[in-house]
Amino acid sequence: MKNCLFILTGFGIFISTECRSQATFPVNGTTDPRHITYAFIHSKIVVDYKTSMDSATFIVRDGIIVDEGKNLATPPGAVVYDLKGKYIYPSFIDLFSDYGLPEIKKPQPGDGSPQFNSATKGAYNWNQAIRSEYDAFKNFSVDQKKSEELRKLGFGAVNIINKDGIARGTSALVTLGEGKENDVVIRDRCAANYSFDKGTSMQDYPESLMGAIALLRQTYYDAQWYSNGGYKKEFNISLDAWNATQSLPQIFDAGDKQNEFRADKIGDEFSKKFIIKGAGDEYQRISEIKAMNDALIVPLNFPEAYDLSDPYDAINISLSQMKHWELAPTNPSSIEKAQIDFALTTSDLKDKNNFWKNLRKAIDYGLSEQAALKALTLTPSELLRSSDVVGSLRKGMMANFIITSKNIFDKENVILDNWVKGVRYKINEYEMKDIRGTYSLEVKNHAALKLKVTGDISTPEMKLFEDTIPVNVSYTRQGTLITLQYELKKKETKGTYRLSGYVNEDNPVAWYGNALVPGGEWVNWQAKLDSVFIPVTKKDTSKKEIPDLGAVTYPMMAYGWKEIPKAKTVLIKNATVWTNEADGILANADVLISEGKIKQVGKNLSSPGAEVIDGTGKHLTSGIIDEHSHIAVTDGVNEGTESASAEVRIADVIDADDIQIYRQLAGGVTSSHILHGSANAIGGQTQLIKERWGFSPEKLKFDADGMAWPGFIKFALGENVKQANWGDKQVYRFPQTRMGVEQVYNDFFTRAREYENEWKKFNAPDSKIKNKDVPPRKNLKLDALVEILNSKRFITCHSYEQSEINMLMHVADSFGFKINTFTHILEGYKVADKMKSHGVRGASSFSDWWAYKYEVYEAIPYNGAIMHDMGLTVSFNSDDPEMARRLNQEAAKAVKYGGVSEEEAWKFVTLNPAKILRVDQRVGSVKAGKDADLVLWNENPLSIYAKPLQTYVDGIRFYDVDADQQLRDENRKERARLIQKMADAKNKGEGTQKPAMKAQVIHHCDEDEYLLMK
Amino acid sequence: MKKYTFLLLAIGAAKILSAQNPAPAAPQSESMIIMNATAHLGNGQVIPNSVIGFENGKITFVADATTVRFEKNKYRKIIDGYGKHVYPGFIACNSTIGLTEIDQVRSTRDFGEVGDLNPNVRSIIAYNTDSKIPPTVRSNGVLMAQIVPRGGTISGQSSVVELDAWNWEDAAYKTDEGIHLNWPRMYIYKGEGSQPEDKQKENMNRSLSSIEFFFRDAKAYSLSSPAEKNLRFEAMRGLFEGNKKLYVHCDYVKEIEAAVNFCRKYGIKMVLVGGDDAWMVTGLLKENDVPVVLGRIHSLPPREDDDVDLPYKLPYLLKQAGVSYAISIEGSWNIRNLGFMCGTTAAYGLSKEDALMSITSAPAKILGIDSTVGTLEAGKDATFFISTGDALDMKTQNVTSAFIRGKEINLDNVQKQLYVKYKSKYGMK
Repeated sequence: MKNCLFILTGFGIFISTECRSQATFPVNGTTDPRHITYAFIHSKIVVDYKTSMDSATFIVRDGIIVDEGKNLATPPGAVVYDLKGKYIYPSFIDLFSDYGLPEIKKPQPGDGSPQFNSATKGAYNWNQAIRSEYDAFKNFSVDQKKSEELRKLGFGAVNIINKDGIARGTSALVTLGEGKENDVVIRDRCAANYSFDKGTSMQDYPESLMGAIALLRQTYYDAQWYSNGGYKKEFNISLDAWNATQSLPQIFDAGDKQNEFRADKIGDEFSKKFIIKGAGDEYQRISEIKAMNDALIVPLNFPEAYDLSDPYDAINISLSQMKHWELAPTNPSSIEKAQIDFALTTSDLKDKNNFWKNLRKAIDYGLSEQAALKALTLTPSELLRSSDVVGSLRKGMMANFIITSKNIFDKENVILDNWVKGVRYKINEYEMKDIRGTYSLEVKNHAALKLKVTGDISTPEMKLFEDTIPVNVSYTRQGTLITLQYELKKKETKGTYRLSGYVNEDNPVAWYGNALVPGGEWVNWQAKLDSVFIPVTKKDTSKKEIPDLGAVTYPMMAYGWKEIPKAKTVLIKNATVWTNEADGILANADVLISEGKIKQVGKNLSSPGAEVIDGTGKHLTSGIIDEHSHIAVTDGVNEGTESASAEVRIADVIDADDIQIYRQLAGGVTSSHILHGSANAIGGQTQLIKERWGFSPEKLKFDADGMAWPGFIKFALGENVKQANWGDKQVYRFPQTRMGVEQVYNDFFTRAREYENEWKKFNAPDSKIKNKDVPPRKNLKLDALVEILNSKRFITCHSYEQSEINMLMHVADSFGFKINTFTHILEGYKVADKMKSHGVRGASSFSDWWAYKYEVYEAIPYNGAIMHDMGLTVSFNSDDPEMARRLNQEAAKAVKYGGVSEEEAWKFVTLNPAKILRVDQRVGSVKAGKDADLVLWNENPLSIYAKPLQTYVDGIRFYDVDADQQLRDENRKERARLIQKMADAKNKGEGTQKPAMKAQVIHHCDEDEYLLMK
Repeated sequence: MKKYTFLLLAIGAAKILSAQNPAPAAPQSESMIIMNATAHLGNGQVIPNSVIGFENGKITFVADATTVRFEKNKYRKIIDGYGKHVYPGFIACNSTIGLTEIDQVRSTRDFGEVGDLNPNVRSIIAYNTDSKIPPTVRSNGVLMAQIVPRGGTISGQSSVVELDAWNWEDAAYKTDEGIHLNWPRMYIYKGEGSQPEDKQKENMNRSLSSIEFFFRDAKAYSLSSPAEKNLRFEAMRGLFEGNKKLYVHCDYVKEIEAAVNFCRKYGIKMVLVGGDDAWMVTGLLKENDVPVVLGRIHSLPPREDDDVDLPYKLPYLLKQAGVSYAISIEGSWNIRNLGFMCGTTAAYGLSKEDALMSITSAPAKILGIDSTVGTLEAGKDATFFISTGDALDMKTQNVTSAFIRGKEINLDNVQKQLYVKYKSKYGMK
């Protein structure tokens, strides 16, 4: 058998000769019309995922299903296939393919100079990543190699998407046939496509995820404006195409689960229902995914186990990576159980040949066969509004089907044929004569040998025995012709025997021919069938229970919760309570919290049923609020490509899976104000969050539960804004000096005022403009600035040197609003009087940073104390997740440098930032009625020796020093279990991947720090 | 354009010169005694009510005031230390004080020389005594520092200085005491901007073999006196002769193991600098007598799954395992927080007196200056300071006087001057 030449399997896939020509094409030679009727009889026909017929007939002609049913007569003149015991299924549809489209080439990186404008020539959109005018069908060409690869898997049609850009234009539904493109394209514009990835666009904007989101939103508004009359002012191919494709199905290539939420949110804003392509981690937040109420396209790219045989490598693989390895195969089943409409795709599979392996794995992990079939047939066709053509096997539909040897999900199943639009593509041989059995091989020179032919029909195994001793034998078979070669060892018959001949396909089968025997003589030979091969039906031992799996945790990583903790009624007794109120610091006081709020502060409190915490010797404070943070953000805190990026919103990119959230809790932080970076004069809109570890991104927002938090926006001054330390290539963006910064503000606020007036005029009831002219273009950037002008949005401005601080206050005064916060404000001590008279709400500084760049060379650690003594509301912030978890110590530096009282210094990181952020009605002090955002410390919180013992947010104990120990133990055990499981997987021969170090990205104002890239 | 450049420089200079460093102190002229202070000796011991005598720059005695007998009159000046604390001057390892003024301004950076193997480069001659940073650091008790070059594979040689001097010769306490080697990264890294795996491996192997060859050749050179001098190899001699240490900078466990084995092979005295993963290989470090200069204690755990407080308790883990260590802050201006990083280690497992050793006696030992500094002991330099409260806690640290070899240094600095200036602008007291 070893030597068997596999000519047999070599036939692979041959297109049958019948190829239809196209009506419009001239023919060279004699025309060859063939309108063959095919009749498939005795087959099990799976009409769709839930309907099937046993032993039925299926009739196909000219690429169309002509008829199907039981007891149908075979039409005269039909080519008949007897499919007894076999199955016919609708072939699969992949909604998310790039088949047949030109390869997307990564652009060559430039020299580092900025590219402000689109490089696309012509009347297209201002942004190069908006490519709504792209039509996949115009760029499609048949690719035989790739179509064959997909047909082998059972696919018959794919939706082809040019996966490049934020708006990607239309995709087309094409078959996987190999005819002329004219015959292969089913539907030209099938869906409009979007993503967050600007792809090959080298235009700077957008450089961040929030920028991509803003660009999409602005484009929606631009397109509305365009159709409402904007076209009279500007001709724009991209917006035109955008509008023309809005009624199509809308596919959004989102990425991971959090990006799916982001895509869905955009959809909600513009009343679009997206079909969302995910990354296969939906199971990690399945209830929120369900709540999106969108259909999904789900990949089967389950990660391979990490090869952790070196424990020093194992330490670099996080629990979240390990857990995802274990649970990713449960994703499809989790989506099915949540009753979400979904299609499966081969996209994201590094090796498409893993499709079946992974699909079966998903079924082993709980996905029902019915749902799997539906996700590969009917659902994709329905989502593309093409279920009248493909996706099931009904009369009149396209003849796109596969023939299988068994139930398609059976592990032994073989796909035999893949018929595309009525054209047969052979995948595996099944029409060959079954020659299996036990023969006696008779050759003149020696006694009869026993020949056993077993295995499968198309590539049987042969074993030859002389008496009972095995003899090496090899064979080839092509059609009816067969050759055998073997070598005998016995002295009298020793030598190589070479037999050639044919198979008589009558019953019983017999083989005849001539042999060249040792010595060079030609003799006759024959093989007579003694008994027919009876296949042993193996018991399917591979069918397993769903494997024993670890739990999904929230978030899905170390320190994640199996169950998110809930608010309880808690009475903390006999603690030193730093009230931040008129009561000051109360000794031996009690605090009662219930339903997320502080109920009572006093002495000798009692509450039946409350959990009582002994606070003796401990200190209770309100939670720390970090006025300046960049934690919990996905893909960039700067949209610094333009001088003003007021349209971008941190709120769009909150990352609930950031370990820094837990680490902040461990440092007593309960709220963080997440800021845009400081790369430009007018930055992006900020978001205040609470450290609700384990909650979904939306639920981290401070105002998640109804009470609105007024919006803030980041501004910045100084060296970052003028790109002073960005290298010699970055010398083109305006402004490059502080002088220019003032003009940026003047210009944008002037435009914002005019923009507001334009809208007022347009909307005025007596306006003569309305309905007569084009409405003003909605501008998200200017909308945010108008909010500032109207004191509906508040500025927190990154600032160092006194000159520009002074300047910005003048700008604000001249436009009639106030600067809410100066953040960093390291030279605030020089202009504290001016800030006071301008009426800033507060100053939020570093305690003691200086000398890291020129503009902070006169920063002094007494800054906080001076500003405080001048009557400003002062806070200390971190701008850094490490410092944030020690902000209590930073507050203590106000005591050290400048002698601020302990009580007042403590407010620098609690009540004062709450005031600055306009949330002091809810947080910042220990007062009945306020949110129960509290920290219990082992001692005076300003001490270097102080450690949080418990941290509460909304009355929920999210951090507890004892529970933390437990979580660490669980992390260790879970890691150990998964490392063992991966080792087992490796030993079983499953594929593995090499571990690598992954950086923790730490965002600061003006840089991203990669923690493992020292 | 020339004119403009000049103008810009002039503006810059004017700002820098607007505040002045105080003059360095004159040598100790009169004998002094500190009475009744809590003396933290820096060796793990504390004397709650102490007497400390010092003259001619040296400590003459340190004793328990309740039991010791001595002649008060012999001392010209008596300092009342009641309720106060005396600490040996903190010693900052692995700093760039005086090599950088403003990190982002290239003209003020002098720590990174071009080239990969620069053992002959010496930090001491670039140490700028007129930097505005040392006075701000010493007013928080940091009185001595190791000045360390950066970059390349072998960055150059470090020296130990006192932070009060007219010029680098005055400042130098121990010159060219060690060579700094940045061990190549031995992990494959995946993430933003990472190179392909084989490229990373290739770079790693190239770096490792370049180190190997360089040390092999340097050792051979050190055993001979070639007519043609090689300045790099001349600088390396001390390593093989045992009078210089090799400071190997790396954090991760594979690198640490490789570096320790490398130094053992060449018979070199090694100090590990960084050492985030040192707790995993304490046996190896102890067995080879390799001390560790830990990096910032106030840092995030290196890996997502790590214990939240891992960096804080790292010293405790090393102490438990019997590994010698000091703590440091790689930087310049921020080194004034060294005491507080030390304080944190006392909150996470160590006693305060044990913690204190990591910025006093332990760095002195690592730097080879422990016979004269690092503890409050008779015969050692009178390099110490007085704080009204616990100097490891920012809430209480308040350095009222400081002495370097008996010289009472001026604790003023540019930041205090600006504080005074602006208080007076606003009419504050």
